Amino acid sequence: MIAVVAMSPVAAGFLLAGVAVVVLAGVGLLKLNTPYARIHAAGKASPVAFLIAGVGASIDLGWSGAARLAVAGVALLITLPLAVHLLFRAVHRTEPQYDPPQDVLRPVADTTDDI
Amino acid sequence: MTVVVVVLYAALVFAAGAAIYRLVAGPSMADRVIALDLLLVSLMTGIVVDATHRNDQTLLNLLVVIAIIGFTATVAVSRFMERSQ
Repeated sequence: MIAVVAMSPVAAGFLLAGVAVVVLAGVGLLKLNTPYARIHAAGKASPVAFLIAGVGASIDLGWSGAARLAVAGVALLITLPLAVHLLFRAVHRTEPQYDPPQDVLRPVADTTDDI
Repeated sequence: MTVVVVVLYAALVFAAGAAIYRLVAGPSMADRVIALDLLLVSLMTGIVVDATHRNDQTLLNLLVVIAIIGFTATVAVSRFMERSQ
């Protein structure tokens, strides 16, 4: 038997915000067109989404649940940017066809910098 | 509050579906790795939603394990990408 407990509106709001960030990361993973943009969208939104959802869950779960969620959030916040950085470096070293194009505005900006 | 829970799970399923699409169709290896990462994050968020919904803290112990395993997998695959060219 599952004891369903009504969650508080504040916790529901935080959970909805966190899940909305996860959905935005998924949309970015679907719609963006280069590997750099896709890794940027998914890798940087993920810890933020988990932290927002963890805040919402901590409101309902009390201190023991909040402690476990804090440990998990810190672990994710330390490890995921490192992993994304290594992934960016691997793409940059192995797949030069995805390099960003040259900045065509650079000569114009250099000649008109006294405006 | 049942509507909120259904909306939360449906949104997480959408994000996981996007990640699975990118996992299957992604042109480069890095797309597949980051898709697996987003899949793990949506699984973690689903565990958080489930713990809040049922007021049960048993599954929260898994979150650290999932985070560390996802980090190890991503680092291993990116090192493999750099070494195997």
